[in-house]
Amino acid sequence: MSGAVGREAVFPTRQSLGLMKSKLKGAEIGHSLLKRKSEALTKRFREITRRIDEAKQKMGRVMQIAAFSLAEVSYAVGGEIGYQVQESAKQARFRVRAKQENVSGVFLPHFESYTEDSINDFGLTGLGKGGQQVQRCRETYARAVETLVELASLQTAFVILDEVIKVVNRRVNAIEHVIIPRTENTIKYINSELDELDREEFYRLKKVSNKKQEDTAAADREIQAAREREAEKQLTSGKEKEAKEKETPDVPDVLGEQEDTDVIF
Amino acid sequence: MASAVAYKERQFLAVIGDEDSVTGLLLAGIGHVTDPPDAQRNFLVVDAKTENSTIEKAFQNFTRERNDIAVLLINQHIAERIRHAVDSYSEAFPAVLEIPSKDHPYDPEKDSVLKRVRRLFGE
Amino acid sequence: MEGLFFNVNNGYIEGIVRGYRNSLLNGQHYSNLTQCETIDDVKLQLAPAYGDFLGALPPNPSTSALAGKMTDKLVAEFRYLLAQATGSTARFLQFLTYGYMIDNIALLITGTLHERDTRELLQRCHPLGWFETLPVLCVATNIEELYNSVLVETPLAGYFKSSLNHQDLDELNIEIVRNTLYKNYLEDFYRFVTTDPDFKGTPTQEVMAEILEFEADRRAINITLNSFGTELSKQERRKLYPEFGKLYPEGSLMLSRADDIEAVALAVSVSSDYKAFFDAVGLTQGGGGLGGMGGSSDGKSLEDLFYQKEMDMSKIVFTRQFTPAVVYAWMRLKEQEIRNVTWISECIAQNQKERIGNFISVF
Repeated sequence: MSGAVGREAVFPTRQSLGLMKSKLKGAEIGHSLLKRKSEALTKRFREITRRIDEAKQKMGRVMQIAAFSLAEVSYAVGGEIGYQVQESAKQARFRVRAKQENVSGVFLPHFESYTEDSINDFGLTGLGKGGQQVQRCRETYARAVETLVELASLQTAFVILDEVIKVVNRRVNAIEHVIIPRTENTIKYINSELDELDREEFYRLKKVSNKKQEDTAAADREIQAAREREAEKQLTSGKEKEAKEKETPDVPDVLGEQEDTDVIF
Repeated sequence: MASAVAYKERQFLAVIGDEDSVTGLLLAGIGHVTDPPDAQRNFLVVDAKTENSTIEKAFQNFTRERNDIAVLLINQHIAERIRHAVDSYSEAFPAVLEIPSKDHPYDPEKDSVLKRVRRLFGE
Repeated sequence: MEGLFFNVNNGYIEGIVRGYRNSLLNGQHYSNLTQCETIDDVKLQLAPAYGDFLGALPPNPSTSALAGKMTDKLVAEFRYLLAQATGSTARFLQFLTYGYMIDNIALLITGTLHERDTRELLQRCHPLGWFETLPVLCVATNIEELYNSVLVETPLAGYFKSSLNHQDLDELNIEIVRNTLYKNYLEDFYRFVTTDPDFKGTPTQEVMAEILEFEADRRAINITLNSFGTELSKQERRKLYPEFGKLYPEGSLMLSRADDIEAVALAVSVSSDYKAFFDAVGLTQGGGGLGGMGGSSDGKSLEDLFYQKEMDMSKIVFTRQFTPAVVYAWMRLKEQEIRNVTWISECIAQNQKERIGNFISVF
């Protein structure tokens, strides 16, 4: 894997090594954060999925009851009201309002149903007969639609979460499998390059010091030779001086060859 | 993630369904007709004679063109007729919801969202 | 005396209707029907009574298709009767169809108001309310044209002319238009059966007056109850009450002033029948002493009780002779039967068996 990701194009300097190291650290922190986010979202996601499953079953039942109440209406009215209802619909009484809910930084919409009580298109439907059933049917259907709206919020949350989780997981994977290995590779590369430089430098220094030593040794030898020559010279004139040297008095012993008298405090 | 402001305007439900479903939902009060001159209804009654292209046009109109619809309800057996359009629709807004009708009880196997749910859990 | 010449012209019709009456489903049939598991079973059970009419249905038809076929049979039988009838009996039968015509015309008015293609609506019209010139109304493109066509082409012209003009059609809620027409229709029908020389003083006047009075009262009560909480004002409401019936005039006046169910209950207490209904469904406080009659303990609504009463009255009509009122009674019974079967099949189709017994069987 790491072979494929290559490394970043940087100059192998200590400065970029420092940069890379902090980048790696950042990537690791980011990775663990994103991972946690993805887990939180997935948890939420699973919960929503389960609730969708439940709600869909519930919807089946609720809609059946509602359809049945419509059957009651047609029983009581004794005819079709469909067309009339379609034509007298003007303003929506039942509306939804979208709200936001924040889950780990993702805004999930939440539909909330409300009724505009001032709007009543069907108040007179079934005036002659069946009006009470019509009213009851309206209530049943309104409740059914509330369930549907709830389900719709769940479903929207599902779609959005699905999308977000995909993105987050893609990022997690990208960090885990691309950015981190690549940064590590780069660090490794910089390190090896730096090591190489180090070794070169060391060798060079060694060479230099060798050369220096040789030079020093040569210089020493020369000095030695010079001294010997000098000594030779002095030896000849030294005998003349020896007499003089014997005249010089003995230097007193300051290094304590004599024992100190004890000092008592 | 859909643009955050887009759904503030969405406050209506729309429905594509058979006569009974539409009647019931309209009784619940979801029906809305926009102001003239281009009065548009937010519901479509489908019967045996309705062309698939009409349904699909309404579906596109409710899902893409109109921006005041929050939830689109569609009878499952009608969604079945334009299944490709429903399945390929993946936006969050408006939410498309498949509902049962009187004569066609709800079949979770066909629901495009539930199909996704199932697929995700590898069932 | 009235029976002396009745059979010369109308004996055949009466005989036929009595035959039809015998083919109505009875309690035994209903209990068989409620045992059914599928619509196909229901179809099978109905086969003796409805035979050919159900033959064309696909397997497991929808309940509305089933009801449609049953209505077809009713229509076919009624048309046969209409074709046989002469004189004032024919007019009587015509009157029966006017109620359906009102519904049909209300449908067309709705369509025209919303600029729909009214031709599509023709197939939604009730076949009993069909008359030859009905399609002509579809030519009208605006409400004024429609209004004029209605006046020229339909038997309902009188009901329109007296109380509605074309602006009303545009402005009033269609339900108010419908109920105004229906009120005029009921009054006209009532006048017809009580004043027509052929019916005056015959059993027809007796039974039809009673039935129509009940119908009028039922409408008045329903309109009152259903108008609570709507924009219908009390003056407008009062205009919708038929001006006859047991409640007219004192009860109607009280109804027109009623603000809540209590007031309605008070208004109808002039008639012991209605009072019993209200007591039975618990709309009044401190009632309940007369609850035995409606059989209300099983959750029946006021409308159910009204239907029950209508059926009982229709049943009793068959004890009378020499009157076309039996046709009216038979039609009501048949309609109730169709509603019953629709209800039962609806319960079966939707798996709501616990309420399957909620129908009205009179035989």
